[in-house]
Amino acid sequence: MLLENCKLALSSIKANKMRSFLTMLGIIIGVAAVIAIMTVGNSMTKSVVQQLQSYGAKNIYVGISPMDWNAELSEADDEAMKFQPETIHKLVEKFPDQIEAVSVDSGAGSGEVRIDNSTAKVNINGVSAGYFVSNQIKLESGNYFTDYAYEKGTNTAIVSTKFAEKIFGAAYDASDVCGKEVEVNINDEYTTFTVVGIYKQKENEMSFGGYSGDQSTNMYIPLKTAWNMNHDDTIYSMEVVVKEGVDAVSFATEMQDYLTTLKASSLGEKFMVDCYSNQSMITESTNSMKSMTMAISLIAAIALIVGGIGVMNIMTVSITERTREIGTRKALGAQDSMIMLQFISEAIIICLIGGIIGIVVGLVIGHFGANAMGYEAQISISSIYISVLFSMAIGVFFGYSPAKHAAKMNPIDALRYE
Amino acid sequence: METFRNDILLHTEGITKSYYIGTPNELEILHGINLDVKKGEFVSIVGQSGSGKSTLMNILGILDRPTSGNYFLDGIDIGKAKNKELATLRNKHIGFVFQTYNLIARTSALKNVEMPMLYAGMSAGERRDKAMSLLEMVGMEERMKHTPDELSGGQKQRVAIARAMANDPDIILADEPTGALDSGTGRLVMDIFHRLHEEQNKTIVLITHSNELAGETPRIVTISDGNIIKEVINKEGVA
Repeated sequence: MLLENCKLALSSIKANKMRSFLTMLGIIIGVAAVIAIMTVGNSMTKSVVQQLQSYGAKNIYVGISPMDWNAELSEADDEAMKFQPETIHKLVEKFPDQIEAVSVDSGAGSGEVRIDNSTAKVNINGVSAGYFVSNQIKLESGNYFTDYAYEKGTNTAIVSTKFAEKIFGAAYDASDVCGKEVEVNINDEYTTFTVVGIYKQKENEMSFGGYSGDQSTNMYIPLKTAWNMNHDDTIYSMEVVVKEGVDAVSFATEMQDYLTTLKASSLGEKFMVDCYSNQSMITESTNSMKSMTMAISLIAAIALIVGGIGVMNIMTVSITERTREIGTRKALGAQDSMIMLQFISEAIIICLIGGIIGIVVGLVIGHFGANAMGYEAQISISSIYISVLFSMAIGVFFGYSPAKHAAKMNPIDALRYE
Repeated sequence: METFRNDILLHTEGITKSYYIGTPNELEILHGINLDVKKGEFVSIVGQSGSGKSTLMNILGILDRPTSGNYFLDGIDIGKAKNKELATLRNKHIGFVFQTYNLIARTSALKNVEMPMLYAGMSAGERRDKAMSLLEMVGMEERMKHTPDELSGGQKQRVAIARAMANDPDIILADEPTGALDSGTGRLVMDIFHRLHEEQNKTIVLITHSNELAGETPRIVTISDGNIIKEVINKEGVA
């Protein structure tokens, strides 16, 4: 019976190709608009999430901030905003199963390295061992700093591949570079560092215009070395990397509670410990992008509703045209429900075909749209399911009333209809 | 409620039909029709245009309800049946042959004949076999795949008769079945009715304005201005 209805509906659609196509056009445009927008939105969301994740989804920023940002801060207050190395030790001991690494860094200015005719600008950054974990910095060759280097603050450095290329030539020998001494000019003061490792320069650390010749790259030195150079060993903030399987969002709260208790005396009423996980930032931005996509899709869905009204219009016309046929079917013993099913199937099939064409068109537009905006196209599978179901629902919804009308016709009135 | 002789298939008591009820233009078309048709009878209802014969046929075919009066089909009180039951009655008990054929457009002769069986819930294979043998019976086996617009009037009417026979109805109601045909093809169609009557003992009610056609049937009921004015047992008719 259902199959018969589908065949019947298809033959009726075929008999009025142009009209059926124009009806479908409304559905096609509506579905295509929704799919295209959802595809572009999805691509943007994915791309932003990937960007954020590259900063470390498992990282938790830990800092101390005043309750009231507008309050005047005294020198004593400045003390309250610092973390002591012992605090960090206690934290790591308290949560050995959750904390993978703690990253602390301290800038030591920027400078220039000149060997023969080659120069390279560097930002010098003193880092703890955890820094390489939290920033996902991988060594191309050589070694990370030794415990000894961290403890004593030796003049050792890890440089970027770009730096190595500029100073030692594009075809530098990595094993040769490690162990070489470089003299860095920081505000006309020269400090010599021994290169121990070379890390891979990430592309996204470049500026938007791409890498230009005189751009600085990061040169890492042990944290203690930077402290010695700065004559300052203040830790205002750190980044904690959680272990695999630990929920960063809830652990951030746990850690915040612990640190607040630990530092209760110095925090007083004026300050608070701030633990903020990258994960919650990712979630927040994903959610806001999703709701934005949703809002625009809803506007596009208006096109779908207009298309649905087109379907209703055509169904009404089709039923009026075929009144005698309906009368004949009733004379042959068709139940009201069968007549109804026949016309609803017709509406559903029109919408379904329109929906499928719309999906294809929408995916193509969405794909090129996302690419044109510089994102990798991400097809949203759920949007396809939703569109198919939605277009069928439109068929039922807008086909129902005309089909009901047809089904309720008095057989003799229908047969006599001219 | 009177008791029925069980050979009476169709029984009406004082059927009236009015239009524009409750308006100044109220018009009564049938003024109380009492009619019995026995199983296996071939009856013609003859009358001029406007006599009310088509209105009567629509009521007999349960396409329309009478304004007053009772109608029993095979002992079932039509006045008390619900719409759903009426559809089933039309489907199983009545076969229609219309003057304008009323075949479903863009649908093959075979599918047209299958349609009442489809509505009766018969399986596809069964429907097909039955429809093919019915089309063979009316001599249309060569043109089963053709759609109505590829068939001549006589051919269409033969398909329509095959369709009317689809669910082995108790009664065939034919409303001016030859009205749109030339005399040659009209003859062919009438011969099919005679064959159905004689060979299969089908009950047939033929509505016509032609005294000549009516003269072929064993019983003639004449209707005029909404009343039955004459009933004749016709010895000349093919019994």
